[in-house]
Parts: sequence; structure tokens; C-alpha cells
Amino acid sequence: MAAEPRKIIIDTDPGIDDAMAIFLALRSPEVEIIGLHYHLWQCLHNTCHKKRLTFDFLDVVIESFCVVSFFVGQLEVAERTDIPVAEGSHFTITCRYDFTAKAMLLCDSGVMAHQYIELLFLLKKGTKLRIADFVHGADGLGNQNFSPPKGKAIEQSAAAFMVEQAKLYPGKVTVVALGPLTNLALAVELDPAFVKNIGQIVLLGGAFSVNGNVNPAAEANIFGDPEAADIVFTCGADVVAVGINVTHQVVMTDADQEKLAQSNGKFAQYLSKILEVYFAYHREAYSMRGVYLHDPAALLVAVNPSLFTYTEGVVRVQTSGITRGLTILYNKQKSYPLVSAYTLISGV
Amino acid sequence: MTNLNCDGGILDAQPSSLPPSKLIIDTDPGIDDSMAILMAFQTPQLEILGLTTIFGNVTTEDATRNALLLCEIAGCPGVPVAEGSSEPLKGGTPRVADFVHGSDGLGNISLPPPKSKKCDKSASEFLVEKVSEYPGEVSVLALGPLTNLALAIKRDSSFASKVKNIVILGGAFFALGNVNPAAEANIYGDPEAADVVFTSGANIVVVGINITTQVKMTDADLLELAESKGKHAQLLSDMCKFYRDWHVKSDGVYGIFLHDPVSFVAVVCPDLFTYKKGVVRVETHGISVGHTLMDQGLKRWNGSNPWTGYSPVSVAWTVNVDQVLGYIKKLLMKP
Repeated sequence: MAAEPRKIIIDTDPGIDDAMAIFLALRSPEVEIIGLHYHLWQCLHNTCHKKRLTFDFLDVVIESFCVVSFFVGQLEVAERTDIPVAEGSHFTITCRYDFTAKAMLLCDSGVMAHQYIELLFLLKKGTKLRIADFVHGADGLGNQNFSPPKGKAIEQSAAAFMVEQAKLYPGKVTVVALGPLTNLALAVELDPAFVKNIGQIVLLGGAFSVNGNVNPAAEANIFGDPEAADIVFTCGADVVAVGINVTHQVVMTDADQEKLAQSNGKFAQYLSKILEVYFAYHREAYSMRGVYLHDPAALLVAVNPSLFTYTEGVVRVQTSGITRGLTILYNKQKSYPLVSAYTLISGV
Repeated sequence: MTNLNCDGGILDAQPSSLPPSKLIIDTDPGIDDSMAILMAFQTPQLEILGLTTIFGNVTTEDATRNALLLCEIAGCPGVPVAEGSSEPLKGGTPRVADFVHGSDGLGNISLPPPKSKKCDKSASEFLVEKVSEYPGEVSVLALGPLTNLALAIKRDSSFASKVKNIVILGGAFFALGNVNPAAEANIYGDPEAADVVFTSGANIVVVGINITTQVKMTDADLLELAESKGKHAQLLSDMCKFYRDWHVKSDGVYGIFLHDPVSFVAVVCPDLFTYKKGVVRVETHGISVGHTLMDQGLKRWNGSNPWTGYSPVSVAWTVNVDQVLGYIKKLLMKP
């Protein structure tokens, strides 16, 4: 008899491989998704800061929203057919609507206006598919006068949700963090008991002894919020970090994609279509014919940890200077004569 | 340096008709520095133009004393020793690794003071002067923090293009540092200077501790050295005791890492290493201060980043451990 599925909360920003990871989780009996956090605003915000808003980027974002919309629809189906409705199981999707206002400020170029409107349209379409706990009082969101809710956003924050679930199932909940670690850091700060209550944090982030993917020093998720990442890494919880040094070993090739396109997999058609953007990006950025499966690989740690090997050590994140977002692992093969930031944390 | 036979046959090499290569060693002796310096003096294919001194293993003042002494021990008391900066570019009292090399830097074996005097030029003046005198001919082997080289680069904008090459012992590339997990000691000693040097556009070869820690003299090797007829074998064996004991304590290594000698071998036998080219920058802030970060060029970056636009340097990537160790042992045991 199989073990009880692990309760997982997926904390992610919308992206193509994020969607793959979520589909993967949906098809894995080893895990039960009890929560799902999307950070539309954060994704947009980070990327805007990183590379300014470009047409390419908007395309990707729009694609991401398609993924979200599609995914939200699939969830409903999945809830009824695939996943047995376990007691207490429910889905939360936390959206940050204030992203629209901030994005407005960032994309002041008239040229992009129509794409921006399209973006809003897609977002609205997504919100029509009302899911439990999506946003309290979401009724009005599907109609014409969409506007960002002001201040008193009523939805439970992602951090509060994680804190609550961890308290409800102490030691049983795994958070799979596929984006910047802001929510987790907030959860750590919100409740001193969270670190003890949470079963495990599996995070996709960092570049351990390899170059980053935002710049030579930093990996995107950590770079998205280095301060939060440092809080999470040093909080004392059971943290498993999957860096791009590992996920770069997991490549879906052109041939794999063909197989996917020809399969009858539930999400295969949709995925293989949206993957085209991702393949094009990898050809451009890495001169490779294939794509890295970052998020799916990280999710697999929660599904089947034995597919990976691990080393244990203290991880710190550089939060300033040219290497902001750099992750440094100290696995204690060496002792140091002087006290440093790393030994202080590890209590060496 | 094609006139050297780096396959371990150096001792039988034919005297070369080519003029010897000019070398300045910028150093903080230091026990393994002493090994490298004495090895350099034992290499007829090299003309040692001078030693420049820097803090690191010892204070700059003590480094100067030790450098003078090593020139005398090598039988070359006339070789100029130019004293370098006593502090890093940003100022402040430098950290000195007396727990590694002993309070005198040479393993506390009560050596006499040198008779000779340092030259009246500063290290950076000396570097600029020699490199200008022989443009394209002078190599610099940098075994300590890079303050003097940064000052030379700042002093003379043509220094970087005139120096033949700079072989640097420094950094930890995609590996743990030795001061803390992020930083290697020479770079940590003056991160600002290191960043100036790495981004100067000079022809740079950098040998990090990810390479040098692969080349160890074990206790058995040290015993072999002690029992050999090497010209400086006895002295070096005595010095190494302190150094070896620290390795046991710090790394659980029963022997010593040959950081400086390995870097010296990169000067005379570059073919015993492989290299990757990439821009190297040094972090000067935060908990990773002193971290060396190389862009391996595996990704086409979207837009610019702090690595964009600088000349790539050669980063030692692999080392032929057996041949490098063999070379070092032979030279140290050369009567």
C-alpha cells in the first residue's frame, strides 16, 4: 500500500516550466496539492526591473497568463476526475492585483498599450474561472469594470496560508517554492513556529558552484529577492535547495518535445504548444536545442527525493554588490580560523 | 617558454641559446612563497628582475625582510627588493596569516636578519619602471594580495598593455575559499585591488586554490625532501613544519598545499595546465567580499551586467597533478 501522499503547497510565479511542474504534481499520486500560490505581480515586477518591459517579455507574460487560465480550468477538471477529493483539500490561488497599477507605471510607452490591454484581458479571463479562495468577493472581477482592489485585499496572503496549513498539519506540509522566496520569508517572519511546523521546504533556486542565469553570479529566483532567500536559507527549517547546477542536467530535447506532441497525455498538446516559446528562448540564450526543466525537476524532489543526491551545509545569499543574489554553500569540508557569516549561522 | 622541458626532464635540459625570461615576483613570504622564490632562483631560464613585497602571510615590512633574506639564501643578494604598500587600497590594517606561516612568516625557525637593504623605489614604481624598460618582456608572478599591481596599473595607464603577462595565485573558482567559504586569502586581502587587476585588460593567468589544493606534498614527500641533497632542502623542510601542522589542523591534510610553487610552475610550464577564458570580477561588498566570479560564457546574457565589456582572463581549469608535483619536487631536490 502506498504511503499517504505528501501535502504540498506550490509557491510559484507563472512560467512555462512552472506550469509543467504543476501538471506533473497533478499527475503524481505521491503528492497532494493543498495550495497553490501564483505571483503574477511579482513575476512582472521582477522582470520589469531586470530587463525593462519589452515586447518579447510581454509575449512571455501573456503566454504565462494563458498557462494560468488553462491551468485553472484543468484544475477544476482534475479535482473531479484525477485527484480524489481528500478531506480538507482545497486550492487557493493568490493573485496580486496591484500588479496592474505598478505595471502601468513601468510601461508608460504607448506602443505597448494594446499588448498591455490584451494582458489585462487574459487576466480577467483567468479570474472568471472562480476557484475557492481565489479572492474573497471575486464576483465582480469577471465583468467590465475590473479594477485593482484597494488596500484591504481580502484574500488570505500566501504567507498566512502557509503558516495556517503548517500549523494544521505540523510536520506534514511540504512547500515547493518555484519562484522568489518572498512569501516563505514572510511566513517565517509571520509565525515563529512556522519553521518548526513546516515539514520541508523544497526550493528551486541558486547556482551552486556554477554561473547564474540572470547574470554570472545569480540565479533568477534568488536574484528576485535575495534578502528573502537569505532569511529562508538561514531560518532553520528543513530546506532542500535545487540549484540550476542540478536542473541544467535535466534537458528536454527536441525529440522529447515531439514525443510529447504525439502523446495523448492530458496536458501534452497544450504544453507542447506553449513550449515553443521556451525552446526558442533556449536556442537564443544557450545555443541549445532543448529546454531546461528547472521547475519540474525541483518538483520531483517532493515527489521522489531518491532521484537526487544531496550535500548538507549552510547556505548564505549575498544581498549587495555585483554578486547580489549569489548563493554560497558551506558544507563544512573545511574549517576556518576566523568567525565568518557562515560559521555564525551554522554555530560552528 | 619553450626552452624548458616540462615533462620532468628539466635537470637534463640543454642550456638554451635563448635569452632568459624576465620575471618579477610580487610576494608576501610566506613559507610556500619561499619555496616558489627559491625555485625561481634555481631556474636558469629565468632572469629575476626583482622581488616586490606585500602584506598577506606577514606584514609588508616583514615580507621585505624575508624577501631580502631569501635573495641572500639563494645566493643573489643583489637582486632588488622593492617594498610595497603596507595596506590595501581602501586602507586599514591588513589581516596577517601568522597562524599559517608563523609570526616571522618563515615558520619561526630563528633565521638571522638579512644584510642587504631594500631598494629605494616602491613596489609599484619598480613594476612600472621595469615593465616600461622592457615592454612585452616582463612577466609578473603575483603570490599575494594584488595591491602593488593595482597601484602600478593606476600609476601608468600603459602598464597593462606593456606587461607580458601576470600570473596570479588567487581566488577560488566555483570552489570554497580558504578565508571563509566565499573568499580566498590573497583576493580577500585586497578585493578592490584584485578587481582593478582582473579588469585591467592585461594578459592574465589566474591560478585559484581550486587548482593549487590538488597539488599536495604529503608527509612522505616532505620526508623525501628532508633527506634529499637539494640545495635548500634542509631549510625548506624546517620551515615547512609549522606550515604542515597548520594543514593538519585546518584541513585534515597530512602534508602541505603547494599554492605558490604550483603558480610558479604555471609561469615556466604553462602547458601542464588547461585554461578557460572568461571575465573575472571580484565582489567588494557584503558577506561574499573577496569572492572571485568568472563568467564562463555559457549563456548569452540579456542586456549588460557587471561582467559585460571587460577583457577575459585565463583561469586555470585543470592541472596535471603528477607532472606539476614531479617538477616541483625535482627542482626542490636539485643540489
